[in-house]
Amino acid sequence: MKQFLSVVLFGAAAVALVSAAGTDGEISFEYHRYEEMRKALVSVWLQCPTITRIYTIGESFEGRELLVLEMSDNPGTHEPGEPEFKYIANMHGNEAVGRELLIYLAQYLCNQYQQGNETIIDLIHNTRIHLMPSMNPDGFEKAASQPGEIKDWFVGRSNAQGVDLNRNFPDLDRIIYINEREGGANNHLLQNMKKAVDENTKLAPETKAVIHWIMDIPFVLSANLHGGDVVANYPYDETRTDDVMFKSLARAYSMYNPVMSDPHRPPCRKNDDDSSFKDGITNGGAWYSVPGGMQDFNYLSSNCFEITLELSCDKFPNEDTLKTYWEQNRNSLVSYIEQVHRGVKGFVRDLQGNAISNATISVEGIDHDITTAKDGDYWRLLAPGNYKVAASAPGYLTVIKKVAVPYSPATRVDFELESLMERKEEEREELMDWWKMMSETLNF
Amino acid sequence: MALKYVGVFVIFQLLALNVVSQISAFPTPTATTDDKTVYNRQLTEERPLQEQIAEADSVKAAVQSAESRRPTASKDTESEQERDDLTVLKTLASGQKSKETAEAPVRKQDQYVPDESDSTKSRRLAEDYDSTKNGMDDGKYQDDPESFRQVDGTPLTAEDIVQKIANKIYEEDDRGVFDRIVSKLLKLGLITESQADTLEYQVAEALQDLITKNARNNEIEDMESNDQETRGEQDDQGSDANTDTWEPPRRRYDDEDEEVDDDETEDEVDRDAEEDGGDAADNTWDKDTEEGNEVSPEDGLQDLQYFPNFYRLLRSLNSDQDTQERETLITIMKTLIDFVKMMVKYGTITPEEGVSYLENLDAMIAMQTKNKLGKSLGPPDFTGPNGKNLDEDDNTKAEAAKMQKEYENLKDSTKEEQPSTETNQPGKSETYLEAIRKNIEWLKKHNKEEGKDDYDLSKLKDFMDQQVDSYIEKGIIAKDEGDTIKRIYSSL
Repeated sequence: MKQFLSVVLFGAAAVALVSAAGTDGEISFEYHRYEEMRKALVSVWLQCPTITRIYTIGESFEGRELLVLEMSDNPGTHEPGEPEFKYIANMHGNEAVGRELLIYLAQYLCNQYQQGNETIIDLIHNTRIHLMPSMNPDGFEKAASQPGEIKDWFVGRSNAQGVDLNRNFPDLDRIIYINEREGGANNHLLQNMKKAVDENTKLAPETKAVIHWIMDIPFVLSANLHGGDVVANYPYDETRTDDVMFKSLARAYSMYNPVMSDPHRPPCRKNDDDSSFKDGITNGGAWYSVPGGMQDFNYLSSNCFEITLELSCDKFPNEDTLKTYWEQNRNSLVSYIEQVHRGVKGFVRDLQGNAISNATISVEGIDHDITTAKDGDYWRLLAPGNYKVAASAPGYLTVIKKVAVPYSPATRVDFELESLMERKEEEREELMDWWKMMSETLNF
Repeated sequence: MALKYVGVFVIFQLLALNVVSQISAFPTPTATTDDKTVYNRQLTEERPLQEQIAEADSVKAAVQSAESRRPTASKDTESEQERDDLTVLKTLASGQKSKETAEAPVRKQDQYVPDESDSTKSRRLAEDYDSTKNGMDDGKYQDDPESFRQVDGTPLTAEDIVQKIANKIYEEDDRGVFDRIVSKLLKLGLITESQADTLEYQVAEALQDLITKNARNNEIEDMESNDQETRGEQDDQGSDANTDTWEPPRRRYDDEDEEVDDDETEDEVDRDAEEDGGDAADNTWDKDTEEGNEVSPEDGLQDLQYFPNFYRLLRSLNSDQDTQERETLITIMKTLIDFVKMMVKYGTITPEEGVSYLENLDAMIAMQTKNKLGKSLGPPDFTGPNGKNLDEDDNTKAEAAKMQKEYENLKDSTKEEQPSTETNQPGKSETYLEAIRKNIEWLKKHNKEEGKDDYDLSKLKDFMDQQVDSYIEKGIIAKDEGDTIKRIYSSL
């Protein structure tokens, strides 16, 4: 009886309070300031503690944590063979839509996982997804603190020091152009990276933190979320390099976004030149040059392929448009993560089964090599086709294998490399055997 | 000769030391609390605007009090003879005051900040003593109800004080007068809390008399004063926000104006007792309930009588075996009402929303009672957030927590109508509670599907505790949030 009456009271209270305006399932579409963002991420972690983990890669100039929510079936550990993926948003503090989308994405993935969505469950079990809603929380606070509905085009863009973070990365493009002309490495261009980064006084703390992050985790695929236009932008235009793959990646995002892929979409501003936009994608080199940008830095200093997503004409639109942006981007965001499971992947080991880290994986016809991670695992994104893939490492004999690569999933190709010493040993033994045989036969 | 130099040198050293020690121990009015505040600033959420204003105000006031004179400042009230006593009491009270300043940010207008560094500075400027110069403020100073002496210098009796205060409140239509005076008296240690309560009742009565007296004189005036009081109260949201929530229901449920006045005053008294009690608010409730049970059940349920359906429900539980349940329900209801008041007080919802919520609640109670009693009920499906069998105490806790969570929903929906990117979230523990609840539910369902045994709650708890600690260390969660999370887990 006592429980019943309590039920009556509770039921009454609950019913009286229900008003479900503007929520998609359990997501609440609103802007999150720093504290709210932090709490939202903590709530996702509390709801899904077995598949999520929050960590910080460092602090912004004003001391805000650069928070990352990681989602995987084994959060906190790199499982050998499991590809690493990242989304980074809001590196320009006043480009706010990406930041919110990543918070909603975190909530969405957690909810869907618990509701038994097979696609999401598979994705989380087979990928390690890192979500950084804001690389520039200081800038965001500045932008968000502006009074009134209309936010200035520039306020909050740079970090608290006035540094444009997307111009602050070491400019490796210069080096690659030189190398292309005169010969030289086509990947991992920042030698002695750790030292160079720590001693570089021009780097903002946010930039430094991200560079360390890129060095620590063997990211395979990434996207960088911006605002101010609506297009998926990818690096370079040399046909020798990964142009085909990048186009495919960019399209994999844009095609699920009805606004981005709309061929008749009017430009964001009357005088904009959208002539280079096709199917919602555009090549970075053709559009406008960004020296010191994060996208190119990823590709040139690490194995990670990164594209830049411009998600909204308005950099800091009205809060009541956020739900629409989510609906436009949700499928794209998930589809793009799935792209990490393409091309070839596998392990490079020696003949005893030990992993060979930092081995080189090169693909004939593509002038960009990638390297294996600590467990000898690698992931080489490739568009469908026939390829010759070579694995090499200093002191080892190169092995080349032919592979037919479909669109998806990734094809498993493992390499067992024979070290030079072993080969010499073999040859020596063969020689000894022959000598023994000869001497026995000829009796000397 | 040498001695002279040594002497000079020694004196110079002393001076230098003095200077150095003064520089290194740079005195500030709120030195001790500053460190804590700064530390907390790192990890706690952006503090509500009012609090920051309050803090800024209190610092500003401390500076200003030394230089300017406030028209209704309480230091005006000190008379020559009492000043010595009061200085001693002030220094005693200031220790408490700095704490109270932190605890009562909403009452920013009522803060009295004496400048302790120099007792002579608390004297008013010379011209103040010369009453001939204060043409305008003469009346106020001379007959300031906040002074402790009559015009002719004889000490005031208790009745006089009560009358003066009541008069002032009536004239100014400002209940805050009472709060200011009483808080000053309390801070100065001149009265105890129970005396403050008594004073409150007496002032209320005196005010009541005043109102009825004037009502008889002129009925139109009565209406106006009613409206003025309403408006006055509504304007005075800073310290009396919760009175506003009661305005419309009172108007609706009571027909006669005089009854409205009665109830206003009585409720004001109740709420003053709560406000002044601060943490003792719960005690006040309990005290009321206890007294109510002993003396008369109606007295303890003054607020609740505005929920006629709930009240009917309670009355139906008049039998002996239902008393405990009755108590539970009353507690739940009062908790709920307190939440509404708090929400309104902190500006999370507007008073109108609070009122409409409570009205809806009452209507829903009626409907639900009818529905539930209409059907024959087996054991209810409802279980607490942890799904276990709860004893009554946990039931109350769980329901209160659920109500908080539902409140969070209401708050969110109102946020959408008025998008504000800067809100205090007193319901953050409820968001976390909700998230944890979803996790537990999923774990149970998941394990059932997989055919495993029940998930290991203690292992999960240990794991979460560990994670929470590491997150606190890294600055991802604040310490108090971590404690909340641990508490929620340990209560499962």
